[in-house]
Amino acid sequence: MSQRNADAGAAAASTSSTAHAQDHTDVPSDPALRVKALESLLVEKGLVDPVALDVLVDTYENKVGPRSGAQVVARAWVDPAYKQRLLDDGTSAIAELGFSGGQGEKLTVVENTPSVHNVIVCTLCSCYPWPVLGLPPTWYKSSAYRSRTVMDPRGVLSELGLDLPDDVEVRVWDSNAASRYMVLPERPQGTESMSEADLAALVTRDAMIGVAKAASPPVGGDS
Amino acid sequence: MNGIHDMGGMQGLGEIGYKESDPGFHEPWELRVFALVQAMRSGGLRPYIEGIPAADYLRMSYYERWYTALVTQLIESGVVSRTEIERGRAEPASAKATPALTPAVARELLFRTPQTEQHIELTPRFHVGDRVRGRNIHPTTHTRMPRYTRGKTGVVERDRGVFNLPDSEPVSAEPKPEHVYLIRFTARELWGEEASAQDSLYIDMWEDYLEPA
Repeated sequence: MSQRNADAGAAAASTSSTAHAQDHTDVPSDPALRVKALESLLVEKGLVDPVALDVLVDTYENKVGPRSGAQVVARAWVDPAYKQRLLDDGTSAIAELGFSGGQGEKLTVVENTPSVHNVIVCTLCSCYPWPVLGLPPTWYKSSAYRSRTVMDPRGVLSELGLDLPDDVEVRVWDSNAASRYMVLPERPQGTESMSEADLAALVTRDAMIGVAKAASPPVGGDS
Repeated sequence: MNGIHDMGGMQGLGEIGYKESDPGFHEPWELRVFALVQAMRSGGLRPYIEGIPAADYLRMSYYERWYTALVTQLIESGVVSRTEIERGRAEPASAKATPALTPAVARELLFRTPQTEQHIELTPRFHVGDRVRGRNIHPTTHTRMPRYTRGKTGVVERDRGVFNLPDSEPVSAEPKPEHVYLIRFTARELWGEEASAQDSLYIDMWEDYLEPA
């Protein structure tokens, strides 16, 4: 507990003095104070149990994140039967590996191939598959990504560093309703003899959103 | 409602600000707001986020919107008073509540998937392969139908099952279960001849959002 508080303090000190300060120059420590006041009010009124709050913070800070999704992808790459189950019923296949919880009610996994590229967006808010990817990055929640991805997916992907050939079919998934989506990226070339654990290390969060491809194996890493 | 949050297809909304290793939150208070919303178990915050005036919505950071929406919801539902929010202290005479979320349940949340699907038999109005059109409706309340789908024709790809229509929340306590369909729209149908001929968009739509085409 004290160690985590110390870590949180260190994180606060580092974020306020680095790149983040440039992103939100008009928002200093004021929101932090307002949130603290709200939290103590809700605790005082008995509406929130502070221990439950710490459990939630710990869960989403330390336990939930894109390494879970990467394990799912690596399993699908090495196990064709699992891959089929994953594409047929994402929720159940992902639960097989122990991942479930909020925003995972209906998980749909869509497969990237040499001829089809899938990309995920939420135009109305920020819907995102928490159990496999954690909480969404800031750019995914940006007005520009939300507004442009549905209308000009190729332009957005190119801006993010992914140029797709004209003959590749682009499928945009607007996750507005019951389902949350995850992209199953293509397995990179030259990874035939890699272990499942090493394969998982190639799977980036952004590849599972569909704005990047899975990383190439390190040179000489597959010999 | 036709709010600022309904952004699909808008232009001029600034930079994406892409960073490859961008984390889900940057400051500890952002995660505290996130946790407070979960701990209150107060249900849908989206209508309150969408109720933020457009100029404020665009100026606020993501978790500032969450904070604002949570406070609005707490005040509107009578759980806290505006005075209490301003003072950061409970009214002396106010009753002590029971927390909505215990630590034990909080620990289990990670392993428990909430069930939103309604397992009831309803005759679907549409079937896989049907051509459907987004209805020209403009609800003033919460809706999950983006305006870019209105008047556009697509094809039913899948029947998702039965879910409560979100448009009735929070205006009505009476849930309205309906079939939800995965619809495929071609990029050209949505965005015109300049869009790529082989690209498409997939989106889930409640039955109320659709009509036969």
